[in-house]
Amino acid sequence: MDSQTHKAHRPAQSGAKAEKKKASKGKGKEKQHGFNEKAFAPKSGRRADRQGRRTAERDQTRLHVPLVDRTPDDQPPPVIVAIVGPPGVGKTTLMKSLIRRYTKQTLNHIQGPVTVVSGKKKRITFIECNNDLNSMIDIGKIADLVLLMIDGSYGFEMETFEFLNILQSHGFPKVIGVLTHLDLIKKAATLKATKKTLKKRFWTEIYQGAKLFYLSGVLNGRYPDTEILNLSRFISVMKFRPLVFRNTHPYMLADRFEDLTPREQVRQSKGKCDRTVTVYGYLRGTNYRLGTKVHVPGVGDLDVNSVQILGDPCPLPDAESEKRRKLSEKKKLLIHAPMSDVGGVMYDKDAVYINVPGNFTKGGMENPGEGEKMVLDLQDVNSTLEDQVAKSQIRLFGTSSQPLSVEAGPSSRPSDESGESDEDEEGFSDDEDEDASSGDEEDFAFEDEDALSDDDFGEDDDADVDNRGRSAPRTVRRSLQGLPSQDRRRGDVEYADSDSDLGGEDDDDPGPSRRFVHFGDDQPVNVASDDDVDEDGSEDEDVPQWKANLSEKARAAFQDTALSRRRRDWVKLIYNSSAPPEEILGQGSSGEDPSQGPSMDDDDFFTVANKAPVKTEETLDQTKEPISPEDLKEWEDEEVLDSIRNLFITGSSSQSAQDVDENGEPYEDAAKEDGSQAGSDNEDGDGEDGSGGQRSLNKDADALAAKKAELKRKFDEQYDEPDAVKADFYTEAKEAMARQQQLNRAEFENIDPEARALIEGYRPGTYVRMELVNVPAEMVENFDPSYPIVVGGLLPAEERFGYVQVRIKRHRWFAKTLKTNDPLIFSLGWRRFQTVPIYSLDDHSIRMRMLKYTPEHMHCYATFYGPAALPNTGFCAFNALGRDTPGFRVSATGVVLDIDRSTRIVKKLKLTGVPFKIFKNTAFIKDMFTSALEVAKFEGANIRTVSGIRGQIKKALPKPDGAFRAAFEDKILMSDIVFLRAWYAIQPRKFYNPVTSLLLSDKEKWQGMRLTGQVRREEGLKTPTNINSIYKPVERPARRFNPLKVPKKLQAALPYASKPKIMKPQHRATYMQKRAVVLEPEEKKALALLQQVRALRKDQVARRREKQEERRAAHRKKVEKEEAKKAEKEKEKRKEYMRMAGMKSKREAEMSEGGRGSKRRKT
Amino acid sequence: MAQTPTVLHFSGHQYLRHRLVLSILSGKPVRIDKIRSDDKNPGLRDYEVSLLRLLERVTNGTVIEISVTGTAVLLKPGIIAGGSVTHECPLSRSIGYFLEPVIMLAPFAKKPLSLTLKGITTDEHDLSVDIIRTVTLPHLQLFGVSDGLELRIKKRGSAPSGGGEVQFLCPIVKQVKTLNFVDPGRIKRIRGISHAVRVNPQFSNRMIEAARSVLNRYIPDIYLYSDVYKGEESGKSPGYALSLLAESTTGAMHCAEAISQPGVPPEDIALLAARSLLAEIRRGGAVDRHHQSLVLLMMVLGSEDVGRCRLGEPTARTIQFLRDVKQAFGTAFKIAPADPSDPESTDLIFSCYGVGYVNANRTLS
Repeated sequence: MDSQTHKAHRPAQSGAKAEKKKASKGKGKEKQHGFNEKAFAPKSGRRADRQGRRTAERDQTRLHVPLVDRTPDDQPPPVIVAIVGPPGVGKTTLMKSLIRRYTKQTLNHIQGPVTVVSGKKKRITFIECNNDLNSMIDIGKIADLVLLMIDGSYGFEMETFEFLNILQSHGFPKVIGVLTHLDLIKKAATLKATKKTLKKRFWTEIYQGAKLFYLSGVLNGRYPDTEILNLSRFISVMKFRPLVFRNTHPYMLADRFEDLTPREQVRQSKGKCDRTVTVYGYLRGTNYRLGTKVHVPGVGDLDVNSVQILGDPCPLPDAESEKRRKLSEKKKLLIHAPMSDVGGVMYDKDAVYINVPGNFTKGGMENPGEGEKMVLDLQDVNSTLEDQVAKSQIRLFGTSSQPLSVEAGPSSRPSDESGESDEDEEGFSDDEDEDASSGDEEDFAFEDEDALSDDDFGEDDDADVDNRGRSAPRTVRRSLQGLPSQDRRRGDVEYADSDSDLGGEDDDDPGPSRRFVHFGDDQPVNVASDDDVDEDGSEDEDVPQWKANLSEKARAAFQDTALSRRRRDWVKLIYNSSAPPEEILGQGSSGEDPSQGPSMDDDDFFTVANKAPVKTEETLDQTKEPISPEDLKEWEDEEVLDSIRNLFITGSSSQSAQDVDENGEPYEDAAKEDGSQAGSDNEDGDGEDGSGGQRSLNKDADALAAKKAELKRKFDEQYDEPDAVKADFYTEAKEAMARQQQLNRAEFENIDPEARALIEGYRPGTYVRMELVNVPAEMVENFDPSYPIVVGGLLPAEERFGYVQVRIKRHRWFAKTLKTNDPLIFSLGWRRFQTVPIYSLDDHSIRMRMLKYTPEHMHCYATFYGPAALPNTGFCAFNALGRDTPGFRVSATGVVLDIDRSTRIVKKLKLTGVPFKIFKNTAFIKDMFTSALEVAKFEGANIRTVSGIRGQIKKALPKPDGAFRAAFEDKILMSDIVFLRAWYAIQPRKFYNPVTSLLLSDKEKWQGMRLTGQVRREEGLKTPTNINSIYKPVERPARRFNPLKVPKKLQAALPYASKPKIMKPQHRATYMQKRAVVLEPEEKKALALLQQVRALRKDQVARRREKQEERRAAHRKKVEKEEAKKAEKEKEKRKEYMRMAGMKSKREAEMSEGGRGSKRRKT
Repeated sequence: MAQTPTVLHFSGHQYLRHRLVLSILSGKPVRIDKIRSDDKNPGLRDYEVSLLRLLERVTNGTVIEISVTGTAVLLKPGIIAGGSVTHECPLSRSIGYFLEPVIMLAPFAKKPLSLTLKGITTDEHDLSVDIIRTVTLPHLQLFGVSDGLELRIKKRGSAPSGGGEVQFLCPIVKQVKTLNFVDPGRIKRIRGISHAVRVNPQFSNRMIEAARSVLNRYIPDIYLYSDVYKGEESGKSPGYALSLLAESTTGAMHCAEAISQPGVPPEDIALLAARSLLAEIRRGGAVDRHHQSLVLLMMVLGSEDVGRCRLGEPTARTIQFLRDVKQAFGTAFKIAPADPSDPESTDLIFSCYGVGYVNANRTLS
C-alpha cells in the first residue's frame, strides 16, 4: 500500500483559486510576469529618451477615434458569423462542425441563418454565403465576423478577392481566414511552402498578422474536433469595433419569412397581387423607429406596417444559471434555425406551431387514392361556389333564350372593395376600443382626486350628445373641424382619431343610439334615432345650445386647471388625444366644444357649409402671445412680486437650493408612481401641518450633509491625484460617451415596453416580427432560403432621390476603363442599383469638366441619379454581376461626397465659323450661329482663330442670318477658321434600376440595362451607318497664290527700301555652267580603276543572270512536261468519268422507261 | 422607378411654418389644405406666399404647388442649399416671422447661410430681431451651432412702413449636440435693449428708468442698453420698444418684450415689458417659452442618445409641434414632472431619443 505513489498536488495556475492565493500572498511576493524591468532599464539618458519617445508613439498608434457602441450590454443581438468562400471549399462542412461544437447536434440540411448560444453572454448567428455576388454583397454589409474559406490545395480564387474588396468598401468587419483541403498536399515541404505563401498574400490583403486557420482533412463529414474547438475559441474572444454605417442604421437579418396575404386574394389575382409578408429576426445596429422605410436588398424599399417584439427564441442563459462559470450543458442544446426547420416548432406572435405533415398535404403523398385525390383537387379550385353559380347558365325552360342569371347580391361586391372596407372598419373599431380603454385608464387615474370634476365632465358630455340629436343632424358646427366625409375616406388620421374618440364616449352613454342606414352608395350614414329627438325636444328648446350650461363649464374648467393641472399625463394628452392644443391647455376656445364637431358630421351624406360664427379676427401664426395688461396687473401687488424672489440669486436659498440639488434623480420615480402619487399627495397635504416643520429640518440637514460629502470627494480627488482630474482629450471624450450611455440606459428604464418603443423605437437585440406590406409577389414565389434576406433601415435622408456625387477610382484589377453614360451597378448603403454615371474632374476649381473615360490610376468624380446616401459612405461598383463574367468583377470603388438636386458638370463645345468679309482688324463671320438672337446671347464672348489670333464677338449683322461682326487683335485671313470655346452643362440621366435579384427564380440571372452594342450583338443587328460618318479620301486642291503685283506707278513712288526687288531672269549661262573641268592625273587613275571594277562587276552579274536563265528554262521545260502528263491523265480521268456518268444516266433513263418494260417482261 | 414617398398631410393655416420646416428637414413632401377655406378672404396670405418663396430660395430643388384657390399647398422639399440670399419681407409681418423657420433650417444647409432680410424689424406678433439676436441664437448655441452664428441689425424699421434690414449668418454643422439641460438655475442677471427710432431719443431712457423701477428690487446686475438708430438706419416709421432678457446661473434664459402703442407713454410700455418678464420667470423651465419648439426640434435632431430638457408648461404651439414631429420623424417625447415632490412646480422634463439626424447636405472635402 505504502509503495503506491500518489499524484503530486499541482496548485492551480489560473482561475479563481489562484487569484485568491495570489491576493493573500501580498504584493511583494507576486510572481513577476513578463520582463524583469531592472534588466531592461536604459543604460544612458539618451537611450531612455528614445525609449520614452518610442513608447509614447506606440501609445498614440494604439488610439482610435472613440466611437459610441450602440449595441446594448444586457441583451446584445447575436454576432453574425458569415462563412464565405468559393464553391466546394468546405463551407457547409465547417458550418456543420461549428454547430455541432456549440449545440451537439448535427444538422443535415442547413438553410438560412442558424443562431446558437455560444457562451453565458454571447450568441452567434451563423450564415453561409453562397457563391452569388449579390449574396456576397449583402453578407458583407451585415457580417460581424467573416470566416473566409480558402482552398489550400488550389490557392486564392477570384471570388475571395472580390469579396475582400466588397468588405473594404462597406467598412471592414473582422476576418479570419480558414485554409482547407490541406490534406491534399502530401509533401510536408510543399505544405509548408504553400502555407507560407498563402499567409503572406492573406496578410497583404488584410493586415499584417491577420488570423489564418488551417483545417486538415474531414473526419465523419466534419473537421477534426480539436481544430474546430480552437476555431470556436478564437471566435469567442473576438472583439468588434463598431462600424460607422452599422452604428447609424438599424438592420435585421431575417431568419424566418412568412406570407400573410389572405389566400383568397392570392387565388383571385392568380398569385400576382402584392403580398403582405412578415420577417423575423434580431434587430441590430441602432433603434428602429416605426414609420421609417426599410430597404430589402434585392427587393426594394418597403413600408413596415407593424413591428412586434416576440419572445427570444434563443435566449441567453438567465441569472440562475449564470452563477456557474461555464455555460450549462442544457443551454448548449439551444438552436434557432427556422429556415432549416430544426424540430419543426415555430413561434409566432401569439402561437406556437408544430409542423406535422398531414394526410392531405400536397406533395406529401406518393400515390393518392381516388378519394384522397378528390380532396386534394378541391384545394386547387380557383373560384368559389358562389362564383360558379353566378357563372353557370341554367335555362328555366327549354325554349327560353336567356339563361337564368343570379344577380350579385349586396353581399357579393367585388371582393377587393369589400376587403378594403372591411379592413377600414376594423381599423376604426380597433381605434375605438383603444381609445375607450385609454379613457378608462385616465378615469382611474383621476378618480380619487377629482371625482367632482369628473361628474361635471359627464354632464357636459351628456349635453353635447343631446345637442347632436336635436338640431339638424348634418349641421357642421365648426369650420376647422368640420370635415367632409370624403376626407375621412382619404384617411386623415387626426380627425379619424377624434371621431373614434367620441365614438368611445358614445358607447358609454346609454341614451343616444345610432343606426346605420344604407343609401345608394355604400357608405353608412349616421342618423339619429327617433327617441333621441324626443328627448332633446323635451330638454332644452329655447336656450341656444352653447349657452346651455356655461356656468358649469366655467366651473369645470377652473377646477380642471386648479386641481389637475400639474398632475396631467402630458404624454397621453399630446400624443393619444386629438384635441386641439388650445383646449389641452384649457384656454377657453370661445365657447364651442371642439369634441362636438366631428361627431356630428361623422359620415354625413350632405355637408352644409359652415354656419358657425365667423371670427372677425383670425388667429395669426405667431410666436409671441399678445400681452394682456390685465393679467399683468397682479404684478403691482407686493406679495406677488416677492413670491418669485427665490428664483433670483439674491433671494433666499432654502427652498430653491433644495430643488436644484434634488432634480438630479427623482423624476424617474415620478413616471413610475404617477398614478399612486395623486392619492398620496393629498395625504401629504393633510399631514403637513403636524410634521411639516420636523420634516423640513431633516431635509435641510440631509441637503447639507450631501453638499459636504460632495465637497469632500472633490477635495480628496484633487489632493490624492492632481493629474487625474485633468484628463486628456481622448479619455475625456470616452468618459463623456460613457456618461451619455449611462443616461440613455437609465432614462427610459422604468417605462412600459410599448411606451418605450414609442419614444425610443425598437432596441437592437430584441427579436421582432416585422410586417412588410406591398411586397412583390415574386419575392414570395421565388423565395430561396439560401439567399440572405437583409432588412436595412433607412434614414430620412436616404429615402430621397437626387444627384449623388462620388469620388471614384477604377479598380486596378478591372480590365477595362469605365465610360461616361455606361450603366454601372452600385452597391451603396443598403442598396444595389444600376445607374448611369457621368465622370468628371475638377478643372482648376473653375468648373467640373466631363470626362469621357475614367483616368488610369487616379480618382475622379462621378455623378449619378439615385437614392441619396450620407456623405462619407463607401461603395463599390460592378459592370456585371453574373458568374459568367470573365475576370475581376469589382470595377470601381469610392466614397460619397455630396448630394444635390442639380449638377454643375460641363463639357467642351466648340462653335466654328468662317469669315466672309475682312476689314482691318474687324471681320464678318458667318456659319457660327443661325440667328441674330443666338448672336445676341454670345455678345462679348471670346473667339479665336486656328492660327491663334484672339477676338471678340461684337454685334449681329442683319444680312445673312446668324452672321456677326467680330473684332480681332490682328487681321485674320479669309482661309482662317474662327471658333468659340464654350461649356455646355450636362445632367446625368435620371435612371435608377434596383437590382431585384431576390425576385427572380434564378437569382443569378439578373439582367440590367444593356449597352447598345451588347443589345445589337445579342439580337444580331448591324450597326446603322450614317452616310455622313463614312470616311472618304480627303481631297485637298493645291492652293494657288496670286503673285503680288505692285503697279508700276506705285513702284516708282516707293522709296527704295520698300520697292519690290524683282530682277529679270538671266539668259546667259553663268560661270558655273560654262567653266571647263579638267581632272588631275591621280583622279584620272582612280576614276579609271573604278570604271574597270564596275565593268567587271557588270559583266559578272550579266553572266550569272544568263546562267540562271538557262537553268530556269530547263526547269520550265520539265515542269511543262509534267503538266502535260498530268493534263493527259486528267483528261483520261474525266473521259472515264463522263463515260461512266453517261452510262449511268442512260441506265437510269432506261430504268425509268424500262421499269415498266421489265415488269411487263416479268409478267 | 422612384417610389412615392409618404406625404405628410395637414389642414388649416395655423402652424404653417413649423410644418414646412419639418417637411424640409425630414425630406417628406407635405400637403397642407383647407387654408382659410371658410374665410371671407380664402387662401394664403401674402406673407405666407413670401415665406414659401424664401424657403424655395434657401433650398435647392424644392417644388411648391399652390392650388388655384390658394387654399392648398403641396411642398416637395429639396435640399437646404444655404449661401447668400436676400429677401424682401412684406409689410404684413415682421422679419421675425421669416427668420424663425430659417433659423431651424440653416445649421443643416450645404453652405453657410448669409441671409439678408428687409422689412419690419419689430412688431407685436413675432419675435423682434433683438430677441432673436440675444435669446434665440444663444439657444441654438446650446446645440453646438456657435462659430460664426450672428445676426447683424443693419437698419431698424418699425411698423407700418418698415425699412429695416438684418443680416443673418449661420454656420453649418454635421450633427447637433445632445442637450442635457435640467437645471434652470437662478436668475443672475438681466439685460435689455431699448430702442427708439424716429422719435425723441429720450424715450428709450425713459423706458429704461421705468423698467428698472420694477426690476431693481430683485437683482443689481441689470444693464439696459439704449439703442438709438438715426438717419438712414432708422427705417421709415417711428416706433420704440423694450426687450428684456433674464439669464440664470446655468445659462437658462427668459425674455419679454413690449413695443410702442399709440397713446401710451413709454413708461407704461416699459412696465409691461418688465412685468411680462417676471411672469415669464415665474413660468419656470430652463428654456424660454417662445423657444420651446426650437429646442425640442434640435433635441429630436440630435444623435441617437437621450436628450433632456426642463421646460415650463408647453404652449399650444409646442403641443402641436410635438404632434407634428411625431408624424414627421416618428419620435415622441417622454414628459414627466420635473420635481414631483414639489406641488407648486409646473415644470416638466422633456426627454427624447434623438433620431441621429446627420446633415446629409454637407459636402465632403
